[in-house]
Amino acid sequence: MGNKQTIFTAQQLDAYQVGYGSHFLLFYRYRDLAPQLVPLDYTNQPDVKLPYELIGSMPELKDNPFRQRIAEVFSEDGEGNMTLDDFLDMFSVLSEMAPRDLKAYYAFKIYDFNNDDFICKSDLEKTLNKLTRNELTEDEVKMVCEKVIDEADLDNDGRLSLEDFQNMINRAPDFLSTFHIRI
Amino acid sequence: MLLFMLLNVCTVGGSYFTQIELNMMTKSSDVVKNDIKNNLNPFNIFKTHKTSPLTLGLYSWNFGGGVQSYFLFLKFLVILNFVSFLLIGGFVLIPSIVFNSLGEPPKLESSGNCTIYEPNPQGLVVFYEYFLHLLSGTGFIEYSYMFYGYYDNTVVEDSSFSYNIPVAYLSTAVFYFAFCEYLLISRMGKATRVAVTTGGSDVSNYSLIVFTGWDFGCLGGKATKLKQRNIYYRLQVDLEEERLKKHAASLTMCKKVTLYSLRVLSFFVALGLVAAACYSIFEATKFSQDNSDKEGILGLIYEYLPSIVITAGNFLVPLLCDQLALLEKYSPSSTVIVALLRAVILRLASLCILLFTLWDQITCKGNQNDDECNECHYNYQEYPCWETRVGQEMYKLTLFDLLVNIALLVLVEFPRRMVVDNTSCKLSQWVGRQEFVVPSNVLGLVYGQTVVWTGALFCPLLPLLNTAKFVILFYCKKITLFYNCRPALRTFRSTSSSFFFLAVLLFGWIIALVVMIYSVAVMHPSQACGPFRSFDNMWQIVPNSTYYLPDVTKEFIFFIGSQAFSVPLSALSCVVMCYVIALASIHGRSVVMLKAQLKLVCLSFFFIYNQMFNSFSCLMQPICYP
Repeated sequence: MGNKQTIFTAQQLDAYQVGYGSHFLLFYRYRDLAPQLVPLDYTNQPDVKLPYELIGSMPELKDNPFRQRIAEVFSEDGEGNMTLDDFLDMFSVLSEMAPRDLKAYYAFKIYDFNNDDFICKSDLEKTLNKLTRNELTEDEVKMVCEKVIDEADLDNDGRLSLEDFQNMINRAPDFLSTFHIRI
Repeated sequence: MLLFMLLNVCTVGGSYFTQIELNMMTKSSDVVKNDIKNNLNPFNIFKTHKTSPLTLGLYSWNFGGGVQSYFLFLKFLVILNFVSFLLIGGFVLIPSIVFNSLGEPPKLESSGNCTIYEPNPQGLVVFYEYFLHLLSGTGFIEYSYMFYGYYDNTVVEDSSFSYNIPVAYLSTAVFYFAFCEYLLISRMGKATRVAVTTGGSDVSNYSLIVFTGWDFGCLGGKATKLKQRNIYYRLQVDLEEERLKKHAASLTMCKKVTLYSLRVLSFFVALGLVAAACYSIFEATKFSQDNSDKEGILGLIYEYLPSIVITAGNFLVPLLCDQLALLEKYSPSSTVIVALLRAVILRLASLCILLFTLWDQITCKGNQNDDECNECHYNYQEYPCWETRVGQEMYKLTLFDLLVNIALLVLVEFPRRMVVDNTSCKLSQWVGRQEFVVPSNVLGLVYGQTVVWTGALFCPLLPLLNTAKFVILFYCKKITLFYNCRPALRTFRSTSSSFFFLAVLLFGWIIALVVMIYSVAVMHPSQACGPFRSFDNMWQIVPNSTYYLPDVTKEFIFFIGSQAFSVPLSALSCVVMCYVIALASIHGRSVVMLKAQLKLVCLSFFFIYNQMFNSFSCLMQPICYP
């Protein structure tokens, strides 16, 4: 499978916590998206960014309604263009080994469309529309958003903060299995 | 640091109160298929499972679209039946086989008033008739270990060993019932415990659906669309309930009266439908019993007439009641509960009517002075060995149930799927693929198990037959789920369903217990066959046998049966019951209080954290507005 030892340095290997062996798999997946852009030798930490269109075309992400938000959250520039680091981060958070709090943190960021560290009503509306393919009527969307904020908002400021979100996630037993992409 | 500690507290507290409600349809169908393949092979019953919260959730099997819980229930019933068979086999079947092979095989009397019984067909038997006999429980099967009539009243007494087959038969039957009750109650206890600890299920419905409803592992356009529709329907159901609640609250007096009178009317119509079904079962059973001596295929159809009518009724009446439900305008979850209740009442009532008709025929309507029942205390002309006849009816019901399921699979579900997949006309797309409807399937299992419990006294090998039947059913349903069914789009939330189905199973057990107690204590056993042929009732063997026990044991047993013991015992059990009820209500209340406290603690910590954060960040800046 090629000369593995020259792809990453030891420190780089330590930094990537995806799990020994699977980051090679991820590296080759990353490279397969654009073989001409990504070099085989990463020891010099080349500055390579893959555009969002390539990331969004991966089979694991291509049908996910939240793929754009996922790419934006994990990319350095916030536009969805990902370096290898970002790519590995993304799949490590979405793997089964990531702790619950880490997943909840990133889930919060994904659902926070306007990046203001709060999930407000407009973020909820966008989430709902993505979840149901815009099939709910406006009244229904409003009703559901009100209900969600009623249920989850602990500090009563009309929007969900990270703590509210995490508190609510703790009550969902299947969050760990649904917030998981197998690669 | 504070945030970290706080997160830990909330995580620990949150997971203690984690709702173990799993909606299996949120998982992509591939995951469910893999889970079923790996975990639910009935022969993997001895594999230990990892006790992750997910698995615990599975085994506490709250419903909500629980296809997996159906298969777990089926697995539980397979184990129950298999262990029961081991019991019966070890204490009744194997000793009988041993004694029959060592001594003489059971002989039938050929003279006497009530003691002539000729089960074997006379003369030449055409080959295909063996198959007909197998299906109807007559012929070579009737006088075999399958039914009550073959067992003898053998009493073996040696210097070092003694074995009394009638006592063994009776006590095995009693112990079998007690064992099933124990398993059932312990399972109900687990379900209740879960319901008490998790409290109400309606807390944070919407937020959980919105934030954790999406399965990120969902692959492919089709699965994604399905998932989206599923979430849409779940939200719709909850919104519909809200709307109905608001609508019901805003009705005028006049409209309320109309609605309630409509509901009362449809209740009576449903009752009428059930009564009509019961009457047709009564007539069919009488007709079948009267024409039980016909031969050939026609005879087979007459034999199966009660089963056919029962199955047809169980199919038609719920269909008609569904149409009634459109008038009643209950909320979606209430509609489901009402439909389930009606289906349950129909099934149990049809079984009761069948048993009543049989009793009616056997004991000449309970009138011992009737011409036909005068001599032998039961209708000897029609039923020389009435226990075998009752056993045969239960045997036929079980067999017919299995045959209908297999026939449905082969003749309805596979063709339906092939038609839907390969034709593109609008009608087939509208009809669509089969949905795996969990409640009616579970009710079918409950009904089958009740039939087996009722018939176990008269047909000792029925639990073994039922084990085989449920194993076949498991694989058939697995095949149909994977190849023919689409995942249910509409998943109705009903956390008490698991408890409800166990309660129905318990109710079926009670019916079977009543039948057993009546047969043992009141009915006169056949004088021509069976281990109790020389007694006035089956229970009499117990007092007779106790005469041979040593004095101390006799005294002890008489004391237990007397009032001096039973009255204090019942008083004590009332006290214990009250204590347990009080304890349960206290625990429930403390759960609610602790939840509220946790919320308060979290809030106050967040407040303190925010204050501290603000003050620290304030100190960092030259000018600060705390």
